[in-house]
Amino acid sequence: MPPDTIIDTETPPQSRATTARALVARLSSDPLGGVVAALIIIFIVACCLSPYFLTRFNMTIIARSLAFIGLVTIGQSLLMILGELDLSVGAIGGLSGIAGGTLMVQYGVNPWVAVGLCLLLGTGCGFINGTLVTRLRLHSLVLTIGMAGVYGGAILVATKGVAITGIPHEISFLGAGKAFGLPIPFIVLLVCLLVIVFVMQKTPLGRYVYAIGSNPDAARMLGLRVAGIRTAAFATAGFLSALAGILMVARLGSAQPSIGDTWVLSPIAAAVIGGVATTGGIGSPLGAVLGAVIIGIIENIIVLFGISPYWQAIVSGGIVVLAISFDAVTRRFLNKGV
Amino acid sequence: MSVLSVRDIRKEYPGVVALDHVELTLEAGQVHILAGENGAGKSTLIKTLTGLVTPDEGSIHIEGQDALAARGLFEKIAYVPQELNLFAPMTVAENMFMPFSRSGFGTVTVSRRAMEKAAETFLTRFGIRARPRDRVGQISVPDQQLLQIARAACRSDFRVLVLDEPTSSLTAKETAHLFQIIRALRDEGVAIVFVSHKMEEIFELGDVVTVLRNGRSVGTHRMTEMTEDSLIHLMSGNNIALDERFQPRCEPGEVLLSVDHLCGPGVSDASFVLRRGEILGFAGLVGAGRSELMQTMFGFRRATSGRCVLEEREIPRGRPDRAVAAGMVYLSEERKHHGIFPLLSVRENISLSILDQLTSFGVVSGRKEREKTREIIASFDVRTSSPDKKIRFLSGGNQQKAIIGRAMARRPRLLIFDEPTKGIDIGTKFQIYRIMQKLAEDGVGIILVSSEMTELQRCASRIVTLYEGRINGTFDQATTDINTLVGAIIGARESRHAA
Repeated sequence: MPPDTIIDTETPPQSRATTARALVARLSSDPLGGVVAALIIIFIVACCLSPYFLTRFNMTIIARSLAFIGLVTIGQSLLMILGELDLSVGAIGGLSGIAGGTLMVQYGVNPWVAVGLCLLLGTGCGFINGTLVTRLRLHSLVLTIGMAGVYGGAILVATKGVAITGIPHEISFLGAGKAFGLPIPFIVLLVCLLVIVFVMQKTPLGRYVYAIGSNPDAARMLGLRVAGIRTAAFATAGFLSALAGILMVARLGSAQPSIGDTWVLSPIAAAVIGGVATTGGIGSPLGAVLGAVIIGIIENIIVLFGISPYWQAIVSGGIVVLAISFDAVTRRFLNKGV
Repeated sequence: MSVLSVRDIRKEYPGVVALDHVELTLEAGQVHILAGENGAGKSTLIKTLTGLVTPDEGSIHIEGQDALAARGLFEKIAYVPQELNLFAPMTVAENMFMPFSRSGFGTVTVSRRAMEKAAETFLTRFGIRARPRDRVGQISVPDQQLLQIARAACRSDFRVLVLDEPTSSLTAKETAHLFQIIRALRDEGVAIVFVSHKMEEIFELGDVVTVLRNGRSVGTHRMTEMTEDSLIHLMSGNNIALDERFQPRCEPGEVLLSVDHLCGPGVSDASFVLRRGEILGFAGLVGAGRSELMQTMFGFRRATSGRCVLEEREIPRGRPDRAVAAGMVYLSEERKHHGIFPLLSVRENISLSILDQLTSFGVVSGRKEREKTREIIASFDVRTSSPDKKIRFLSGGNQQKAIIGRAMARRPRLLIFDEPTKGIDIGTKFQIYRIMQKLAEDGVGIILVSSEMTELQRCASRIVTLYEGRINGTFDQATTDINTLVGAIIGARESRHAA
């Protein structure tokens, strides 16, 4: 269902008025309506603002940078739908990237084996978070603030703050290469998104995730394996962060200790823009990624516009607030109609 | 002149007409009962009276003035909702007098001492066992319920007091006390609207009754003209035999469930057996540990020692998922917290327990799911305009039927009903009793936890009584009179019987 919505926007018009009306009807009935509408508007505004926006070169840049934050966003939105939050996803991504780099460069491990180990490490870190949250019944927000310190600290211990250079060329196409005219990281993002959306919408497991997010006590009473599903979701988020981390290493050709520094708050903002409730039970990973696209376009426009770097944070933050308010207002408006 | 008069109001929600040309007139100094089955429109009518919902058509006059034009008039209506609606971390006095500027205890700063002093009088008057400085979260649930009523009544300017099932978590003694207060308020000239499903209360307290059925008012009568039969007949539109019994009509078979020396928080050393083909009732005061015992057996709470064996399989401690896999299903008293998934639709709520059976190649089949849920909705008479409606918009009784349908879909071997008819109308109640009876006769173990003695007498084969977390007696329903049972419930020593 949601993918149709996007395709629909591109169908050739029979007559303009009817298409527009059909589109409005479609948007208003779909839970993703708000974010898709916001995306269309921002896209049109961006096209009008800068002639350089809608170029192949610029689109590739957006797609590539979106891939990293998008992967993290998928994981974070999954946790948010469950009613949890992981603030250590950035540190997990960074740590996994560093571990991968170290294995390849300093220990001469086969790059593909190193990639596998690095993904395993990320999954393990997520698993630890999940186990601590479920076993000790800790608040995930507070726990993962602490774990972000632990994983982030491990990066510094391992690297002493110095980047690891000389990543083997075999894997650099993972970050820099293209296939079917699309950047490889973007393809990885699409594949992951497809898998997760399929699980969330078509399988019992996905339904259980929404149920737990909606009412965890009732889910336990119903006999769902709440702790297991929660832990698995944390592990998945860890895996996706590690994937983003290693792709970033491949892209840069070096393992920077700062990888993942910006992957904590903007995925949460992206998820909220995309209709994921911070209280759990509502939203979808697809919406969250669309939210990330919106943020990506905004940041891109700021660069294209040549706004002073000192002002960038204020402008992009302000537009994020606008985007969220736009979504909230549309939803209230649409709810009235239903 | 009447205090409040509702003329010809109509309220329509998408797909449902909640109120259809309803009339209601409240007189000062009268207790006006609002009766009707679940989903008859009582809640919507109350929300209209209190100004929370604006009707599509019709008029509301408060003391002769048009309240829909001058909405300030709705402040004369004090409303006590059914659900607890208090600020748990704040003190009793603060809860009572919030907003402070309106109660006169502070505009810039809050005059805490004066407020606490004023609170004392209300606490005494309403018999609330708490001090003004206690945190609301720490006082008992009945006290919270009374506090909620006190909060509505401490404003002196109200002319109408609306009470929506105020006694659902009160004991008999607390209820009696509350009734004294209600009568005192009535004699001061307040018009009282009282919603309840309990017949004894309706007849004890009511002066006038208005019955709603399917969103229409089917009549207003003086209580002196009514009998229990005629009232039920008006509510349901058909006849229900009040003396009907629902004990399973078969001999108890082999042991299905045995609980040995189970201990845990709120439960000490509980042992009992449940045989195939019987309904085992559990009686006790609020707080005697009935729900705690059930939840400990089920694994929702962790047992510290003891065993719970269902059909020769031991249920591991603290694992409700394993209990469900073994065939045990628990229907909690707390429908809102433990039962429904408010953000999901009726269909999703129902199918959740059987999703693994509705898949093809690991994918949930939309067709199978729709068919199965339609079947359950029909056979359990869940009234909803569409299966895709969010379940939180359904009335309490229909939510309960949906949850029972969901539980049954798994074909459980043991079903625990914890206060299954709390806040549920009599027609639906009897439907639930019939379901329990049928299940028990089919060999499913049934446990019924209830605070209503009549319910236990109507359904249970044997009754276990709990007192302060301990089992203090087991009685055969057929040979035990109610006084013995009540004696056991309140912990009288001589009532101890061998099972």
